[in-house]
Amino acid sequence: MSIFSNKSEKIFIYLFFAIGLFIPLFLEGNTFFINKFSTIIILAIFVMSLDYLVGRTGLITLGHAMFYGLGGYIFTILAPEYEAVNFWVYTFYVMLISGFIALIVGLIVLRTSGIYMIMITLALAQMSFYFFADSIEYGGQDGLFVYIKPETSIFGLNFLDLENETHFYYLCLLSLFNCFVFFKIIMNSSFGRVIDALKENPDRATALGYNIFHFRLIAYVLSSSLAAYAGYLFALQFGFVNPSMMSWDVSATALVMALLGGQGSIYGAIIGSFVYEGLHYFIEHLTEYWMFFMGALIIALVLTLKNGMAGFLNTLSGGKRS
Amino acid sequence: MSQTILEAENLCKFWGGLKALNELNIQFKDKQLHSIVGPNGAGKSTLLNTLCGAYPATSGVILYHGKPITNLKSYEFCRAGIGRSFQKTNIFHNATCLENCCIAAQQRMGGSFNLFKKRSKNRQITEIARSALEQVGLAARADTRATEVSYGEQRQLEIAMVLATAPEVLLLDEPMAGMGHEESQTIISLLKELKKKYCIVLVEHDMDAVFELSDLMTVMVDGQHLITDTVENIRNNPLVQDAYLGNDDEVF
Repeated sequence: MSIFSNKSEKIFIYLFFAIGLFIPLFLEGNTFFINKFSTIIILAIFVMSLDYLVGRTGLITLGHAMFYGLGGYIFTILAPEYEAVNFWVYTFYVMLISGFIALIVGLIVLRTSGIYMIMITLALAQMSFYFFADSIEYGGQDGLFVYIKPETSIFGLNFLDLENETHFYYLCLLSLFNCFVFFKIIMNSSFGRVIDALKENPDRATALGYNIFHFRLIAYVLSSSLAAYAGYLFALQFGFVNPSMMSWDVSATALVMALLGGQGSIYGAIIGSFVYEGLHYFIEHLTEYWMFFMGALIIALVLTLKNGMAGFLNTLSGGKRS
Repeated sequence: MSQTILEAENLCKFWGGLKALNELNIQFKDKQLHSIVGPNGAGKSTLLNTLCGAYPATSGVILYHGKPITNLKSYEFCRAGIGRSFQKTNIFHNATCLENCCIAAQQRMGGSFNLFKKRSKNRQITEIARSALEQVGLAARADTRATEVSYGEQRQLEIAMVLATAPEVLLLDEPMAGMGHEESQTIISLLKELKKKYCIVLVEHDMDAVFELSDLMTVMVDGQHLITDTVENIRNNPLVQDAYLGNDDEVF
């Protein structure tokens, strides 16, 4: 049994990563587009982590951007200002610390569910937004800057130079791939079986003897630390972090992307972010009122495609509804 | 006489001022089918929900093998060995029948916190799930999605899931609700088999089935225990006829 749940997913993933691998060759150093793709891929990681929470675990949060922002902040605060640190070591730190924060936050927010959970996650995210926006030490509204990018040597070998856009792009692509594989593995695992069960019918899962709180907490921590990893990449790409990364509309936009891509499909997160950002880019160049048209288009897409773009692709390839 | 497994002492469950269970004393013995009957609102379902930990008891004690388990968390009741099926079909509709039982079996077998081991690699769980499906006669439906099987089969699946948790006590809440005659017969013969191995507490409105299956019957009225006796004695008891059976106008 492969890790793919259907044919369209398999085709999409193969195509996407094949194109992703070779596209920098065709762009021939057009750094604008390479940067653009890196940004979208980072976003896709963030959306994927949110999709796991919303679409697979059934926990709807409007505060996921808190971890996205925290990822950036943790790195910037932790790393010495004028010294190149090791990328992998700091990846570990960022994910560990954000995972720990997610554990504490999860202990609080997972006591609620549904609309109350949306409210409390939103409230906590806004709290951290204002904490960073008002803190003088952490740069207030302007945030903090990353002056020196980390080096990526591992066992003395150094393949990637993060100052180089193409190298950074490949790092993002690799991260997205790992993220996808990671989520597929945990979805197919014994743990994933319980997550599927408690998403569909939490009461029955409890009646079968599962303490669903523990499972939700683990899912929350995993998803949050991957969101933080995406925020960390964002900070590296743009060289700064600021509170706006944590603002609620980042969470909401990601939620729209996840829905657009097809909630719970995981690979739909990639489609969702690319379609959303692609539309954004094109409509923005056509008209000043891009938000209006964008909104209308997204409403139309969400209404017509019941299971998002992923569901649409699945129907196209003749797959059964899942 | 077989031993008492599950016992309720002075069990009370109040919903505000409503006494759904009032000072109930009842004992369930191993390898017996003990059915609980009574008019609507007598507190039968409440009793099951309290016995399986879904509702915390207002007061009183639940004893399991002589030990009080009243303060366990609701998910710990199942781990202790008290399995429960639901009045309203309560299964995982999007999963296959086999997967439904796997979810149930995995709780007991452990490994639920294993993030990386493929769920299909755990053969033991799949085997338990398969044998549970076989026991209820659903083996042929193993790979069919639970939404796609008939209503009667969903009820069977419901029981299979409870069996997969390896319980000692089965609390069955109207397993024959909404079934046709033939489907009911399937469940009846299934329960006849099961009562040889498990302590079964059955709440059911189908009186023919109840009379056919029960070793002991308890009649409840208004949250109170009216009488517990064998089927024959219950049939002839004037009190019971008054409260429940005798009145032809009664709608169950």
